[in-house]
Parts: sequence; structure tokens; C-alpha cells
Amino acid sequence: MKTDELLINMGPVHPSTHGVLRFKLTMDGEIIKKCEIVMGYLHRGTEKLGEMKTYMQFVPYTDRLDYISAFPNNYAYVKAVEELAGIEVPLRAEYIRVLTLELNRIVNHLVMLGSLLLDLGASTMIMYGFRERENALALFDMLCGARMTFNYIKPGGVREDMPEGFIPKLNEFINDMDKRIDDYEQLISGNEIFMGRMKGIGVMSAQDAINYGMTGPSLRGHGVNYDIRKLEPYSVYPDLDFKVCVRNEGDSFARYMVRIDEMRESLHILRQVVDAMPPAKPASLAKYGIAPMTGVPTAVSTYFPRIFTPPPGEVYSRIEAPKGELGFYIVSDGTIKPYRIKIRSPSFCNLTAIPKMVEGLMIPDLIAAFGTIDVVLGDVDR
Amino acid sequence: MNPAEELKQLFPDSVVSVGFQIKKPLAIIKKEDLLNVAKKVKEMGFDNLSVITGIDYRDRFEVVYNFFSYTKKQNLVLKVILDHNNPEVSSLASIWKVADWLERETYDLVGITFGGHPNLKRILLPDGWIGHPLRKDYDMNVDQFVTVGEDGEDIVSTDGTNLLRR
Repeated sequence: MKTDELLINMGPVHPSTHGVLRFKLTMDGEIIKKCEIVMGYLHRGTEKLGEMKTYMQFVPYTDRLDYISAFPNNYAYVKAVEELAGIEVPLRAEYIRVLTLELNRIVNHLVMLGSLLLDLGASTMIMYGFRERENALALFDMLCGARMTFNYIKPGGVREDMPEGFIPKLNEFINDMDKRIDDYEQLISGNEIFMGRMKGIGVMSAQDAINYGMTGPSLRGHGVNYDIRKLEPYSVYPDLDFKVCVRNEGDSFARYMVRIDEMRESLHILRQVVDAMPPAKPASLAKYGIAPMTGVPTAVSTYFPRIFTPPPGEVYSRIEAPKGELGFYIVSDGTIKPYRIKIRSPSFCNLTAIPKMVEGLMIPDLIAAFGTIDVVLGDVDR
Repeated sequence: MNPAEELKQLFPDSVVSVGFQIKKPLAIIKKEDLLNVAKKVKEMGFDNLSVITGIDYRDRFEVVYNFFSYTKKQNLVLKVILDHNNPEVSSLASIWKVADWLERETYDLVGITFGGHPNLKRILLPDGWIGHPLRKDYDMNVDQFVTVGEDGEDIVSTDGTNLLRR
């Protein structure tokens, strides 16, 4: 029977696009023939803004890229600046950074699980996910006074040391979380409807996934054993014991399972960080005299001057953010402002794979595949 | 021998110079030969194109490609230098699929044309936007307003007097 092709607009305002993203779908009956992605609805020109701010002033802007997991954004930018200028960081600050990064990884995966299940029509998980996330956000609040946009990690260290009573609260969270992840697994992983929606959907070969620029947990669901924390170790990750979570199937279910495994691995890292946290050594203020202010060294940050001019040069530095490879390319011309900042965001590059992945599937499958890629539109559009 | 020096041996005429970009091997390539060199780079095992960066240096443009190899666990940086009046370089979208969007973004924001690109149009900004924001001579004082036309297309104008919120 002859059928006509039909153009369907999905988005820009659609609950399962996690923000404002538009799919232009060419449909043959219920089958997606072609998927074109239209974006840019949330473009704020962050890269241009970076050229107008000093190195320190740009840190809060990075919070607003991937607002679900802002610590990794902070850290990726700060790491690039530190590599550019060769700044040393106190060991305690590095441990606090890893603590925040891994805690944020758990938060990110909780939001991802919640919204994925909500998109698939199961509204229980988002309640559970957001309940645990709330506990983690309370910890962030304790640490830096903000729940989502932290501005906590700064070049040379972190802004403030952990408050009193933070570690006991964190231990509580870790022990609680251990049981919760088992609950989630019981609730969703074995669910027949869920498996029916996920298994064999959005399949892509490992070679294709790499070629389309996928990174992070999404890529590890395709059987690629890679993790920047292992390949190009940064911070104190070389001293920590953790394994890379890989699944070989390359479908939506595998990408989902990688997230569950990673949350467990993050808890394992958090326990080690708590055990190995070096004691706070008060820094000597003698060299700088007067009262503490920004730039003066503390137990958790080295001296970072207010008028900061790194040597001219270029650097590309990347980290394993919860969503994938997050990199900052910074060009310095030796003045107080960066000459050019380029953000390599994981969401943007992971999204390139979607049109290829969903060819020949139906719209409900597009939602499942898209949910497991885990993008945040603030990160896509920048 | 690092991959940049390897390239220098294979393409003595195409590789202008080799060096390092903070520990990462860097090779500066003649822009005419980029596609040939890139094909070889892919054969050498650099399967991941991390990022494409376009930089406006006022007298010239530079396009920087950061590669990583999952098999060899190595980094490689390629760089081409383009004329400021006519920034054009061949597209790598046929070799790395991710280059498609990365090049569109570079075209959109920096205004570098990629020859042979399958679908070179704006990606983040609306069609019809005036200028390329990440160029150093971009005029920040001109307001641009976007409205939606009858067929859903974007209409960009510098005249905001007819807008509702004014």
C-alpha cells in the first residue's frame, strides 16, 4: 500500500525532551524515516561571555551549563586554568573536589533515572530519585550554601573547608544510598514492561558510537572500556580504587545499567575519600600579611591572585563528567581575560548519535533512546 | 616517536611544523592537505575526534582538532591556519560523523566555511543571524530580534520597534 510521508514536530516544548529541543521527524506511518534535530533555544553565548570575564569571574557561568551536575563543570574549567598556569592544589582540596564530583555523579544519575522512567510512563522512580537527590542537595547546601549552582571549586583549591558535621551526614547518605540502589534495581531492572521498552532499542555498534562522538556512560554501554579517570588520571583518582563499568549490548538497557553500576562505584569511591581525607593544615598567612580574603591561601586553597594573568598559551583539558567527556579549550594571550574559551560539552556530542540511532524506530522508542543518552539542554546549547 | 612526528615523516610537504600543546603532540598542517592527512590520522587509530575549535586571531583564523585514540590511548592535536579574508578548509564530516555538528557550530559562531560539508548551516543561532559572534570584530551593540514567520521560519531583524514587549 502506498503511504505518504508525514512531517511531525516534536518539541521544542515537549516533556520528554528535557528542556527545549525540537525533533523534526519524517514519518512513514509509525516508523521514523529521518530525524532532524533543531536546537539553540537555550543558547546564551557562554563562550562569548567568557571572553569578557576574568578567569575567576567565569567560574559561576560554568555552573549554568549542565545545571544538573554543576561541580564537574566547575572542576573541568578550573582544571584547564590550573594546567594552563601550572597551579598546585593542596591535597585536602583535591579530596574534597573528588568528593563533590562523585556525589554529583550520583545526583546526575538519579535525575537521569527518574526522568527516563517518567518519560516511559512510570512515575514512581522520579519520586524516589528526587527524594534521595534532595538529601544530596542538602549536603551541597551545607558545603557551599547552594543547592544547584555552586561556584565552589576555584582555581587553586575550593572556596571553603567542609563544615563541622559534614562527614557524619555524608556517611549517613552513603549508607542509605546503598540500600536505595538495591531498591531501584528491584523496582525497575527486572520489570518486564521496562525491559520490553529498553532491550534491543536504540542499538548502535561500538565503532559507530565512537565515530558519532559518544562518550561517557552512554559509550560504555556499547562495550568500550574507557574512562578518562583511568586513561588520563587527574586529581587523586590514581590513588583510589574503582572499576570502569562496561556493558556490551549497546542498547538502551545497557546504557541504563551502566548508570546503576556507576552509582555503586561512586559510593565505593566516596567511602575511600572519607577514609583517606587528609587533615586540614592551617596555611601560613605570614607571607601575605593582613586579613583573609580571596587569593590568600587557606588549608584548602593555594595562593591565587585577584589579578591573575596566566602565561600565553593554549590548553585542552578534559574530565569524565557524569554525562561524558567535558573539555575546556582555553587560549590565553597573557592578559587578565581568556582570549577564547571553547566548551566541549558531552551532551552536544552525544546528541549527534540520536538521528542515526532512531532511524526505523517508533516515536516511543525515540523517547527511550533519547532518555538513556542523558542530555541537558543547558549543556547542548551553552 | 610521537604521532605528530610520524605524520611529519609520512607527509613532509603537508606538515608545516610539529610541537607540543601542553604534553599533547601537535602538528600544524597546510590547509589544502588537511583531508589527506586526516584520512591517515584515522588509519593510525585516532577514532575519537574530541573537539573542533575555531579561533579568531584578528590577522588569521586557526582551527584546532583534538583527537584521541581508544586503541592506542594517545592524544594528537592538528592545527590549520587560515587566511582572515577567506577562512575555508575542507570538512572532515565524511571521516568522523561527529565533525558534522562540530563544524556546523564552528561555522555558526566563528564563521569558518567547511568545504564539502553535507549540511553547512547555522546550528545554535537562528538562520539569518547577522555576523558570527565569536569573531573579535563582532558588533555587540547591535540588538537582533528573532520572530517566527508564517511558516515557522525564524526572521531576524535589527528593528525591535514592532515587538510586543516594547
